[in-house]
Amino acid sequence: MKNIAVADKQPAWCPGCGNYPILKTLDEALNELNIDRRKLVLVSGIGQAAKLPHYTKANVFNGLHGRALPAATGIKIANHELEVVVTSGDGDIYGEGGNHFIHTLRRNVGLKLFVHNNQVYGLTKGQASPTSDLGFVTKIQIHGVILQPFNPMALAIAEDCSWVARSFSGTPEHLKAMMKEALNHRDGMALLDILQPCFSFNHQNTFKWYRERVRPVDPSHDPFDREAALRLAMKFGDEIPVGVIYRSKRKSFESQLEALKDSTLVSRCN
Amino acid sequence: MDINLRIAGEAGQGVVSLGEILSGALAASGLHVFTGKSYMSRIRGGLNWTDIRIGSSELFGLRNRIDLLTALTQEALDLLKDDLNPGGIALLDGEAPAEDGLLTLNFSGISKAICGSDLMANTAAAGAVFALLGYNPDSLKNYLSRIFSKKGDDIIAKNCQAALAGYKAAAEKNIKLSAVPAGGVCRYEQLISGADAAGLGAATAGIKLATAYPMTPGTATFNYLAAVSDKYSIVVEQAEDEIAAVNMVCGAVFAGIPAMTMTSGGGFALMCEGLSLAGMMELPLFILLAQRPAPATGMPTRTAQEDLKFALNAGHGEFTRAIYAPGTQQQSYDLTRLAIETAHRCQTPVIMLTDQFLQDAEKNIAPLDDKYNPVDRHLCSNSNPGYKRYALTADGISPRAIPGGDALVVCDSDEHTEEGHLSEDFSVRIAMQKKRMAKAGGLLAEFVHPEFFGTVNAGITLICWGSTYGPCREAVEHLNSEGSTAAMLHFSQVWPLDRKICREFLDKSRRIIVVEGNYTGQFASILREQQIISNHELITRYDGLPFTAEYIVTEVMK
Repeated sequence: MKNIAVADKQPAWCPGCGNYPILKTLDEALNELNIDRRKLVLVSGIGQAAKLPHYTKANVFNGLHGRALPAATGIKIANHELEVVVTSGDGDIYGEGGNHFIHTLRRNVGLKLFVHNNQVYGLTKGQASPTSDLGFVTKIQIHGVILQPFNPMALAIAEDCSWVARSFSGTPEHLKAMMKEALNHRDGMALLDILQPCFSFNHQNTFKWYRERVRPVDPSHDPFDREAALRLAMKFGDEIPVGVIYRSKRKSFESQLEALKDSTLVSRCN
Repeated sequence: MDINLRIAGEAGQGVVSLGEILSGALAASGLHVFTGKSYMSRIRGGLNWTDIRIGSSELFGLRNRIDLLTALTQEALDLLKDDLNPGGIALLDGEAPAEDGLLTLNFSGISKAICGSDLMANTAAAGAVFALLGYNPDSLKNYLSRIFSKKGDDIIAKNCQAALAGYKAAAEKNIKLSAVPAGGVCRYEQLISGADAAGLGAATAGIKLATAYPMTPGTATFNYLAAVSDKYSIVVEQAEDEIAAVNMVCGAVFAGIPAMTMTSGGGFALMCEGLSLAGMMELPLFILLAQRPAPATGMPTRTAQEDLKFALNAGHGEFTRAIYAPGTQQQSYDLTRLAIETAHRCQTPVIMLTDQFLQDAEKNIAPLDDKYNPVDRHLCSNSNPGYKRYALTADGISPRAIPGGDALVVCDSDEHTEEGHLSEDFSVRIAMQKKRMAKAGGLLAEFVHPEFFGTVNAGITLICWGSTYGPCREAVEHLNSEGSTAAMLHFSQVWPLDRKICREFLDKSRRIIVVEGNYTGQFASILREQQIISNHELITRYDGLPFTAEYIVTEVMK
């Protein structure tokens, strides 16, 4: 029997995958903000993006497909002083975990949700994801996708998520700025949707396709203006706005829990 | 000496409130009380009842027949009067003319005369029942004064007035039950249900997060935990579905707090993947599974013991687990505490199987300790930078640290290395699967012995598990008083089973009968597979109603 332990230590991603710059940028953002890795928990579900926590230094909860958000919520309830960052894909968070996405937004749990959104299923080799464009042809959707693409930005604004932004793995400086702003965000959930090409399975939404379409949000945009934010969120096509789209002054879930008023629950278990 | 009082009517009519006043007042009068609820899955209408069994010695279950029926509707009377014992009394709330063996009293009328509405009709009915039982109305009045103490003197006075008016109206009819147990024999006034006892066990054991998607009959424990959540610093979160409920608990226990979720069969079905996750990640997951008849939605408000094999085999793949099944309110408390401790000691999922009958059944027992007394979480220090969450050990139990210190805690649902990182290495897979399965030894080491009751070397041994404890125990007493030699062997831990210990109790019995609330005899099948029994008979019940001693004795005698 061949020992394949060495292969386990290498990222399982294709060369040129958008996950590499996302991983590198996340590490830089964490380092530049001096975030204590001992107090950091990376939570993920299943998928190629969900393997990210294994390739950096942190506490890790790599759970079930679609279930990263409830697990992250449980972690935050147990110890709200931990920095909880969820890194997972569009299939995991918007598809399998769609119900949890809705209700975690409603709770406004103080976690950072970084969704690697490549509009396709990678790990299962090329089926449509909830964010795939109409008409996207796959081995399963042979006549093209006929389901309305999922709009995570608009849904998050509708549920009054406290910080909503979008970025692109092909612009690492912008991505880092967004990650740092998300990590600095206090009082509630921060959703960062990260557009990311998939060289192996998405030949429609390519690196070039995204690069030609992403446009930084105009500096005059007031993210606290919900209607203006919703108009930006509805744009996905010839032009895709990137940057902070929406902010709200809503209180976080954990700041409203009676039992967490004095200290963390985990500090009171003896 | 014991009798059975039944209060019956439509949902929303006050069956539960009248039952609470009466059972509380009767317990306060020093009687042994055991209550059960029978209700339909609806908010209004239908036929619901509360049974209050009272006795001069300790009671363990319900009875089939009625000695005093209080019917709040004519329909309830028509449907239930055939269940009256000879000499029994039926009391109807209303203005219908009395017929033979029937007493009609207008409780709403009594209430309206006192407070202008029918708000106190239940109190008046309780007074009438006290008269028919020949008990002193003062103990009812004392009880009412106590429970309404926060509502002011006026409310107390009017309730006492209503109780007395009901008492007098019944006493004037010169009807009484002939044989009634004497009060003053039980010193425990506090009634507690299985659901509340489990909740109290969990709260005192240090549960800090309770999650659920509401599902009868698990919800009763969820309600209890919410009610005491401020006292014990518990976060109670209603999840969007059972999948979220179980995964929140997995996250919370990973981060270091004891946590639990509760549900019934359908919700548990949705939790299966999470259960398997806890098996792989070696998390101390505790699930309270309150059974009801299935498949699918089944009979939501009825009782069953149909999910034993499901609980035993739930979750994909192979991993260890312990399953407890309380038989009494006291065991609901004790085993909840033990289950949480076991989950932490062995880092494995633990399921407690209860059911609608025990969740709802109330009994006055010695007060359960409500002092916060958290179980050992069996944690190691998290200050070691070279920490490996899944270090290989002889007993399969790796020292468990929690995030926040120098030790990074890495947990993965994929097969993983000792460090917790995902691995597709075959030798890693073998070592890890052996390690996880080795924890079965730790689970067996603290096996809860089955409880033996009755005659040694009996002609008949009734084997039971979970909530059939009470009915089987009373059946054994009955059989022994009628000249048989009978015994009961009750299992409150149904998995894993220690064959040697179990067989010691059974070797000399001539007739082994397994009693359980399902169609196929699931526990009997497990006992055969584990070579604990070979030849046996089976008494089953799967109509949705709880076992009673009469039911079991009748089946044994067939």
